[in-house]
Amino acid sequence: MPTAVTTFDYEAAVLACARGERFALRALYERESRWLLGVAMRIVRDRERAEDVVHDAFLQLWQHAASYQPSLGSARGWLYTIVRHRALKEVRHSGRMPAVDPTDLAALSDQQQAAEPDARGLDGDSLERCLQRLDDARRACVMHAFVDGYTHEQIAERLGTPLGTVKSWIRRSLASLKECMA
Amino acid sequence: MIDLHDADERAAAAGEYVLGTLAADDHAAFSAALAHDAALQSEVYAWQDRLLGLSAAAAAVTPRPQLWQRIDIAVGALAAGVPLPVRAGATAVHAPWWQRLGLWQGVSALAVAASLLMAVLLVARTTPPLVGARYLAVLQSPDKQAIGWVVEIEAGRALHLVPVADTGAVPAGRALQFWTKPQGAAGPTSLGLVQAGRPLELAISRLPDLGAEQLFEITLEPEGGSPIGRPTGPILYVGRTVRL
Repeated sequence: MPTAVTTFDYEAAVLACARGERFALRALYERESRWLLGVAMRIVRDRERAEDVVHDAFLQLWQHAASYQPSLGSARGWLYTIVRHRALKEVRHSGRMPAVDPTDLAALSDQQQAAEPDARGLDGDSLERCLQRLDDARRACVMHAFVDGYTHEQIAERLGTPLGTVKSWIRRSLASLKECMA
Repeated sequence: MIDLHDADERAAAAGEYVLGTLAADDHAAFSAALAHDAALQSEVYAWQDRLLGLSAAAAAVTPRPQLWQRIDIAVGALAAGVPLPVRAGATAVHAPWWQRLGLWQGVSALAVAASLLMAVLLVARTTPPLVGARYLAVLQSPDKQAIGWVVEIEAGRALHLVPVADTGAVPAGRALQFWTKPQGAAGPTSLGLVQAGRPLELAISRLPDLGAEQLFEITLEPEGGSPIGRPTGPILYVGRTVRL
C-alpha cells in the first residue's frame, strides 16, 4: 500500500541511527533493502557483490548518520546516493565492464516490479515529465549513467556516439532537468 | 579537472557527482571540497532528490536473510569499538568475511568457535542486559571440513539457529531436521524442520534442557521429518555448546 510507504519517516529513522538506535537501522533495512539491492544489482550485476555493496552502505549509513542534514534534502535521497556511490566504486575499482545482458537481469529480479510501480513510494512525476522533454538519446545517456552506472566512455560506446558529445549531452540534460524541475 | 571556484562548474559538477559520471580524480576532488562547503552540500542534496525517482527503473531484488545478520554483527562490532575486518579490495572478495575459506583454513574448530564467540559477545554487549547464561554452538560437517550453522542461545529467551555458509539445496523429497541432546540425556529431541539457508528462532521452552556441552545437530530426513522421533538419516552438521 503506498500509504504505508509514505507514512514511514525516513528522516527520523536516520536521525535515530545517529543516536545509536539500532532498531532504526533495522527499520530502514526492512523498508528499503530490496529496492536498494535492486539499485546495486543493476550497477554491479552480481548478487553477491550487490549484497556486499548494500552491507557496506548500511555500515556507512550507521557510521555517518550524524552527517545527514535534514534541512537540505530527504533521507532517502541521501541513502540512495550512498548505495549508488558504493556500487560505482565497486565496479570502477575492478575495472570490470558490466557483463550481464539486461534481459538476463529480469530473471535475477523480483517479478512483481511491473505490477506495482508505485510500491516504493518515490514521487517521480515531475522528474518523468521533465525527462520526457529531453530527446531519446539524451534521456538514454542520463538513464545509463544513473541506473546502469555507466561512465561517459561506456555510454559513448553503447550509443555509438562520440565521447565529447555524450559529455555535453549529459551536462546539458542535467541543466535542463534542473530548470524544468525548479 | 573541474574548477570548483566557478559557479556554473560547481552546479554542473554537483549534478554529475550525484549522477556518478565524474572522472575518478574529479570525484575525489569534489568529495574533498564537499566535506566543508555548505553551498556545495546544498547543491548535492538538491540533486539527490531531483534524480531519486530514476531509482524506480531498477527492479527490486529481495536480499538473502544472511545479509541482515552480517550487517547486524558488523554494527555490533562497531558499537563495541572493534575494527572491522578489512575487505581486501573491492574485486577479489565476494563472500562475507566469515564465510571466506581462507579465513578458516588451518584454523582449529576451537579458534573458530572463539572468533564467532567474540562476534556474538560484541553484539551482546550492546544489546539489553543479559537475562541468563548464554551458549554458542558451531555446527560443522562431521569431517570438520565445513561450518554450516551457528546456534546461539540465551537462557530464558530464545534459541537462534543462523546459517553461516551456503549449505546447498536439500534433495527432493528430503528435509533438514534439527535436534538437540543435553549431556546425559538418553537420546536426541527433535526441534523441528529447518529450511536450508534460513535462520530459525525457537522458544527456549522447546528445549528439553540447556547447558554446556549440549549436542545440536542437523540431519537429512524424509520429507516431513523422521517418522520415528529420532534421527534416521546422515548427520550433516553437528556441534556442542560452549558457555559464553
